[in-house]
Amino acid sequence: MRKKALVVDDNKNNLTLEKDLLEIAGFEVFEAENAFNGIAIARKEIPDIIIMDVRLPDMRGTKAAMILHQDKETCEIPIVFVTASVMSEGLEEVEAVANSGFIGKPINTRTFAKEISQYIK
Amino acid sequence: MILKKSEAESPTYAESIINTVREPLIALDQDLRVVSVSRSFYEFFKVKPEETVGQLIYDLGNKQWDIPKLRELLETILPQETTFDNYEVEHDFATIGRRIMLLNARQIQRVFGKERIILLAIEDITERRDIELGLEKVRKELEVAKLLEDEAREYAESIINTVREPLIALDQDLRVVSVSRSFYEFFKVKPEETVGQLIYDLGNKQWDIPKLRELLETILPQQATFDNYEVEHDFATIGRRIMLLNARQIQRVFGKERIILLAIEDITERRDIELGLEKAHEELKELAVELERTARVKTEFLANMSHELRTPLNSINGFSEVLSDETFGPLNEKQKMYVNNVLTSGKHLLLLINQILDMAKLEANKMTLSLSILPMKSLLHEFSMLVADMVSRKKLQMSLDIAEDLPNIEADELKIKEILYNLLSNAVKFTPEGGQIGMQARRKSVSEIEITIWDTGIGIAPENMEKIFEGFFRVDTPYSQVTEGTGLGLPLARKLVELHGGKLIVESKGLNKGTLVRFILPNKPYEAM
Repeated sequence: MRKKALVVDDNKNNLTLEKDLLEIAGFEVFEAENAFNGIAIARKEIPDIIIMDVRLPDMRGTKAAMILHQDKETCEIPIVFVTASVMSEGLEEVEAVANSGFIGKPINTRTFAKEISQYIK
Repeated sequence: MILKKSEAESPTYAESIINTVREPLIALDQDLRVVSVSRSFYEFFKVKPEETVGQLIYDLGNKQWDIPKLRELLETILPQETTFDNYEVEHDFATIGRRIMLLNARQIQRVFGKERIILLAIEDITERRDIELGLEKVRKELEVAKLLEDEAREYAESIINTVREPLIALDQDLRVVSVSRSFYEFFKVKPEETVGQLIYDLGNKQWDIPKLRELLETILPQQATFDNYEVEHDFATIGRRIMLLNARQIQRVFGKERIILLAIEDITERRDIELGLEKAHEELKELAVELERTARVKTEFLANMSHELRTPLNSINGFSEVLSDETFGPLNEKQKMYVNNVLTSGKHLLLLINQILDMAKLEANKMTLSLSILPMKSLLHEFSMLVADMVSRKKLQMSLDIAEDLPNIEADELKIKEILYNLLSNAVKFTPEGGQIGMQARRKSVSEIEITIWDTGIGIAPENMEKIFEGFFRVDTPYSQVTEGTGLGLPLARKLVELHGGKLIVESKGLNKGTLVRFILPNKPYEAM
């Protein structure tokens, strides 16, 4: 069965790029352009992994992750943040979220899908 | 003298005189034998009549009286003159000790008979002489003391007049006794309106200063000295002045009165300078705070900028990479070349962003080290293999000289690799095809290792030795393409070495003479800092 991945990013280009890379790697990919839709799709589809931007238009990606972690339907889903933040403060915010990892921007297209797969249990 | 009358008087009368006078008296005949002696003589010289009368004077008391000066008086002087007064003789008698005597001698005719007798009155002046000597001593001491006092006063006054600091001496009633020349000059007053005046009345009561009153009337009576008493006052003649007063209460050498010595130091200018300095210091502090804030803002700005730039770069690099990989179908040669240009430029831009951000972090002291023990020997060998591809592509020869005993060090692995990468890629970049590069590593001391990266490339002109560390400095060279470097690699490497507590130096004998970069890393970074 194909693994399900949810990509939440407000940047349409990034969304497309990540979706393409994951689809090539065999994922079934769902897209959301904000946290609200992302949470809704996550609850509906229960994906194997969520790829989330940190800066989303309606809330921080880390906040959305915490909401999903408090929901017993979605609390098991690993979340990988794709962030351009390289200052330590930004990383701390991401590291504070349980059951998560991060990939720095810009992504390496040749290894991206592989890196994501490593977070799936 | 009493005996002058004796010619007219009877011998008994004479003898009764002899016996009543307190002065010892002795009468001798022409042969200098004792004829008669006064009671006081016996008492004074502690001799008895039976061992005295009829004896030669010199033989008296076991020849105690054989005194050269007495012989001189009796045998030489008296035969020439009949009287002799105040002939001083000093002698040490066995019975009564050292004595100073004044001898008064008279040669007289005895009333009955023709023989002459010599009358000798002996005055003991030993005590008197001692008193006189004592008095003399006291007088001399007094003279010395007076001289000393004069000298002391002169000395004190010359001090008063030579010191640059205005000085004023006051008596107990706070009247001016003496004033230094500098005082007149400084306060623009004249001697005639100063000496004898109450200090408060000086210069039209200008000196009636509450704080001065406090010092002189309250503080000084309790303590004899007082230093650095600060008084600020606005003088009519010389304007506002800040003075430091040093006061001494001293006893005059003779006499019981006390005088107060007041030294006045004008610290107005000094205080002004101090105030100025303080102000400057404050301004500097504000400036430092402002600078720190600016630096922080700059770092934050760069962090934000790099964040914002990364997002579009993610698309540029990502899509061109996917295209170049021909994931969605083949490209023709031209398309492939163009998309590779986009990718190369995108990667260069990313490197720039990363290095600028690192530089900003280093300058703002925001870069931290994550330390671990690094096996340097194997790390350097592995690293040389990583750059081997780069080296062979340019047909360079690379020599490695890594000491067998190179110790492990505690350092930030990623940052050490970044230093090595920056320096090795510079060596490759700036060495023409067929040239040589090399890496040497050795133990420098017990606590340091030294790594040297050298090349036979284009070198550095002496005038550029400083500029290479300024950032973005790049030499136009036929061997390096514009897109290859950022000009930040070397300054970053140096800053990262310094962050580890190490040191990096660059040497070059000049253009086309090759370059050598040597850096020293401590075994434990924080111990070195």
